[in-house]
Amino acid sequence: MTKALLNRIITNTFIDGPGSRMAFFLQGCNMHCLYCHNPETQHLCNACGICIKACPKQALLKSNGKISYDKNRCIKCDQCIKVCPNFSSPKYDEVSAAEIVKLVKRNQDFLNGITFSGGECTLQSNFIYDVFHALKVETGLTCFIDTNGFITDENLELLCPVTDGFMFDMKSYNAQNHKKLTGLDNERIFRNLRYVSEKGLLYEVRTVIVEGFTDNPPEIEKIARFIKELNDYTLFKLIQFRPIGVKTYMGSLKECSVDLVKKMHQIASGILGSRAVINLFENK
Amino acid sequence: MSNSDALDIIRDTSIDWKQKKLLLALCAQNSLPYVKISEKASQYLKDGVIDDLNEGNAPCSPRYILPDYHKFMNSGSDFLNLSPPQNLYDAVNNLQILYNYVPSVTCYPVFLGKIDELLEPFADTVNDTEREHIMRNFLIYIDRTLPDGFVHMDIGPKDTKIGRLVLKLEKELKKAVPNLSLLVDADTPESFLKLGVETALCTGKPYFANDRDITQALGDNYGIASCYNSLKIGGGSYTLVRLNLKKASASAKNIDDFMNKVLPDMIKAQCEIINAKTRFLVEEVRFFETSFLVKEGMLSIDNFTSMAGIYGLYECVEHLTNGLKVGHDEAANEMAVKINNKVAELVKNEDGLYCFGTGGKIGFHAQSLISSDVDVTAGVRIKIGEEPSIFDQIKIEGQLNKPFDTGVSDIYIFDQTAQKNLDGVLTIIKGAFKNGIKMFALNSSDSDLVRITGYLVKKSDIEKFNNHESIREDTVQFGVESIANQDVLNRKVRSVD
Repeated sequence: MTKALLNRIITNTFIDGPGSRMAFFLQGCNMHCLYCHNPETQHLCNACGICIKACPKQALLKSNGKISYDKNRCIKCDQCIKVCPNFSSPKYDEVSAAEIVKLVKRNQDFLNGITFSGGECTLQSNFIYDVFHALKVETGLTCFIDTNGFITDENLELLCPVTDGFMFDMKSYNAQNHKKLTGLDNERIFRNLRYVSEKGLLYEVRTVIVEGFTDNPPEIEKIARFIKELNDYTLFKLIQFRPIGVKTYMGSLKECSVDLVKKMHQIASGILGSRAVINLFENK
Repeated sequence: MSNSDALDIIRDTSIDWKQKKLLLALCAQNSLPYVKISEKASQYLKDGVIDDLNEGNAPCSPRYILPDYHKFMNSGSDFLNLSPPQNLYDAVNNLQILYNYVPSVTCYPVFLGKIDELLEPFADTVNDTEREHIMRNFLIYIDRTLPDGFVHMDIGPKDTKIGRLVLKLEKELKKAVPNLSLLVDADTPESFLKLGVETALCTGKPYFANDRDITQALGDNYGIASCYNSLKIGGGSYTLVRLNLKKASASAKNIDDFMNKVLPDMIKAQCEIINAKTRFLVEEVRFFETSFLVKEGMLSIDNFTSMAGIYGLYECVEHLTNGLKVGHDEAANEMAVKINNKVAELVKNEDGLYCFGTGGKIGFHAQSLISSDVDVTAGVRIKIGEEPSIFDQIKIEGQLNKPFDTGVSDIYIFDQTAQKNLDGVLTIIKGAFKNGIKMFALNSSDSDLVRITGYLVKKSDIEKFNNHESIREDTVQFGVESIANQDVLNRKVRSVD
């Protein structure tokens, strides 16, 4: 069975798709978003060793050109992640599809399904396919993918038959802004959104409300109208920008105001009704 | 108890007159000798390894009583000069009257009935607005006149107008009283359950009771009373005597000594105390010959049992395995299950005097601590702050729930993301039932109501109490002590990090 690089597992999440889910965050991304709040998932470790000196518990070691870490020593202070100049982490693991399937099956009584996220999880599509395929055969769980939408045709065709729902990011409707924000064009993303929508698999489109990019009514209106034209079922989730964990200049921006997100939500609701949903962090 | 103890109670400025009267009555009871027990049993009581949770030396009524309110609804009461109700107004009024005549260890009724079954036949005797008005006033009446967190109401498993109203109003009222359980079976509709989850994430109640498993142990004529005690309706429990497994393990030389000498010896003594108290109640107090509840068919000795409780399993295993932790070490989990099953077997090997409700055997109960307990974990729960992932916790606790026929529970705290995903929470509750959990309590980390061990108190009332303001509910004081002694505000929150 295939293997993948796994950054983190969240055993129980209520915000990564419908119902109770287990979420897997895979390592590596094809975008480099300015507001990425888990930048340590972007690149693979190049074993530069800077994190070793930063670790207060000597939990990191370099051997055979690789950084390894001692789970028992690690106090999860995240110093290694903070100092990494490479937008990576020394703490991701290689796991097999069989291991993941086993873990999920052991907890399937408590789950509606699982979700792969990242990073950009579809960079490891063969692995996802193997996990989803096994779960389809062996359980009744639903299989979801959280993606930035920049997926190759080949991978999308591979994944659709075993996937129950996609959650797509729409970082920016405006092409120039998208490139500025992520480093990539959004043309392919629009194409993929249409493809997945036609198959009835576009569960949700997500937009982070962030200053200077998506904090204006025309932008939100365009995305909402695009979704409305696609189908009659996809949810549109508006997410409040938070600077926590952000490594670029955006880390020094203020949290997007609740009132502004609510205003954008109102605009989206005017077009999509109850399909427009809001994700605020006001009470956390 | 001496005269100076009584004077201390009278002079105590932190409790109201009703609580003083209750404590003075206990004081009077304790001026009598303890019911007749062996020297060995008496020594265990003195050492505190076994205790009877302040029942007193010579109790005058059973600890928990679950009247058959159906019988009352159908026949009325000669003693109370009440006819069977004709409409919802009558039905609620009759119940409110009877509640004041139901004895218990707390002096408040620990069981208010399966309220939806009782009131649904009258639901359509009034219009929608009146129905809601009557039910709101009913719940307010209960909160104000029976101000005790152990006053327990049941709804479900059927979906009813009254059941839905109770959930809706409890969410609005946000009061600690009454304690509430929603009985869940395979046919309970999802929409009704989701309303329960929504209310629970807001108020910490209802409990979700695994009807299938509890019915297997007690038959279908049971109610959830007090904290989370499952007992037969028309019956109850004479007494609850508990064993501190942490202390018990400290007196063992090794695991073998604990399993084969210490436990059998202590449980024999525990059951002896239980039977002695039961004998006193039945034969000397002659409760069943004198109570109007018995005479009018609302109670029968045939439905009664006694309860043997345990607590401190977590620390017991930790001690016997030199530090292994239940929920984290497989060997500790195995040891916990083995000890738990052994205790259950030993309890069930003893005869339970007048325990006709549970086949002549004493009921087995996972006791949830009292406020003065320090450094020991409730029942068979995992120590607060040491909880593993929620799924691992449910799996091991599910195995540990199996042998309990008169009550066991734990409390799972979710963060606010749960409020927008009721389906997800429901999936976990159903998964928990499938894995053997009998009573599932949940709460939201930002709720004002906190489930202490089995009962609820409001954080805002705790603040008032700490500021020496007077509080209606006696359980608030217990809550304050439990928070100080048992770390109950630090239960692990199941959040997305």
